[in-house]
Amino acid sequence: MTEKVSLTELQLIIRDSLYLALPDYYWVIAEISELKENSAGHCYLELIEKSPEERNVKARVRAIIWSTRYRFLKAFFENGTGETLREGLKILVKTKVEYHELYGLSLIISDIDPAFTIGEMALKRQLVIKKLEQEGVFSMNKDLKIPILPQRIAVISSKNAAGYSDFVNHLNANNFGYVFYTALIESSLQGSETEQGVINALDRIALNSQLFDIVVIIRGGGSQSDLSWFDSYNIAYHVTQFPLPVITGIGHDKDISVTDLVANKSLKTPTAVADFLIESVSGLENEIIEMISDVIDASRIIIEKNRNRIETSAIKLLPLARLMLSHVKGQLSTKIIEINNRGKELIFAATITPANQKSRLSSCVKTFVSEKGTTLQRSNQRLLSGTLNLLETKNMRVKVLESTSLLLNPENVLQRGYSITSMNGRILKDNSQIKEGDTIDTQLYKGSLRSKVVERKRRDGEKENG
Amino acid sequence: MAKREFSFNDAVAEIENILHNIESGDLDIDKLSLEVKRASELIKQCQKKLRSTEEEINSIFKDLT
Repeated sequence: MTEKVSLTELQLIIRDSLYLALPDYYWVIAEISELKENSAGHCYLELIEKSPEERNVKARVRAIIWSTRYRFLKAFFENGTGETLREGLKILVKTKVEYHELYGLSLIISDIDPAFTIGEMALKRQLVIKKLEQEGVFSMNKDLKIPILPQRIAVISSKNAAGYSDFVNHLNANNFGYVFYTALIESSLQGSETEQGVINALDRIALNSQLFDIVVIIRGGGSQSDLSWFDSYNIAYHVTQFPLPVITGIGHDKDISVTDLVANKSLKTPTAVADFLIESVSGLENEIIEMISDVIDASRIIIEKNRNRIETSAIKLLPLARLMLSHVKGQLSTKIIEINNRGKELIFAATITPANQKSRLSSCVKTFVSEKGTTLQRSNQRLLSGTLNLLETKNMRVKVLESTSLLLNPENVLQRGYSITSMNGRILKDNSQIKEGDTIDTQLYKGSLRSKVVERKRRDGEKENG
Repeated sequence: MAKREFSFNDAVAEIENILHNIESGDLDIDKLSLEVKRASELIKQCQKKLRSTEEEINSIFKDLT
């Protein structure tokens, strides 16, 4: 046997041998299977390599990032990938093999390549997407129609997540006063429990899917990382198979997870999801309001049309009635004239007969009376004239005598218009004694005249010559 | 006997029939004033109906718009 060594000595021999044998840095590809930060800020990891089927672990090693380096690498990795260093990630790290007599072998990580992880994640994501497409389920949830009134909402989130309270507050503070019913189904939304948590929550909702219109998966609010949990095939598959539309608001600006891709609708923040729901309801309300105004407009048109009909009738009614009335009046007055004329004729005809009779009667009477009267008168006349004749005859003699005596008195003669002409006191009875220029006197019944003779005439009136 | 419900269309048809009768001169003069009275009565009812319908529609939608 060779010489004996203490354990410490052996460990130191191993350490030195390894140091000599492996003096360089190695870029190592591995998957993180465990990760812990201690209070001093050092990061302790377990790195593994799995078989291609991802069943068995083929290799395993401890690794350490010292705190001074870890502070830098952690930020560098997160900025590069959008992911925090965590179990399940494949990483490419620059390592140096160290051996410690107390703690054994470990890889000391001094650098990390985020691009490798990004590529790995993208590759893994692509594989998941491809698988979902090949199974023909990729767009199944997208094909569901969002209900016209998404008011009953199943929310998959965690009670203390800032994103959840943002969502509920925003939804209930809507300006329209719409009421939303939300039911929280709790699930862890980061870390390794994410996958199972979300799947369980979906299963619970599916049991009472008739109570809900829509499912939302809400996260966000702080953590911008750990999105890759939602690249999980299992979560994505459950979403595609879900009977209700699923809306995601898992809060990631840069990348879209596979769950986002297969969800009915994917929005960046919980607040955006709330806005979308509010807008859906207000859009519906606007449509209804438009329909109401359409109904009102259509009703007004009908009323207006009928109003016109009635007004036309109302306008026509009175003039028509008047027209008809005046027409009838015209007919009536023609009739009245006719009746009047014919009446007069009748009356005339009727009055003629009695008047005739009357006049005939009266004339008869008159004739009779006058005849009788005449006879009477004649009798009277005869009586009178007889008497008068008698008287006449008796008086005649007396009258003759009387008148003769009267006639013989010259005064009576003068009175009757005779005159006495004298010249030189001698009464003239013949003009022969008279010459022209003689003065003669004429005695009248009253007074006398003295005249000069101008001319002598014969008895026959011819002028007498000298 | 229940009062027959007022029918706008029947009323309009009756009004137009009366107008037609007056227009064509078929109407008996004895009936003219009666018919004109009837028509104006119907017109009044129709206008009332239109107005009440309009008001009804307005009030139905008053709270909604």
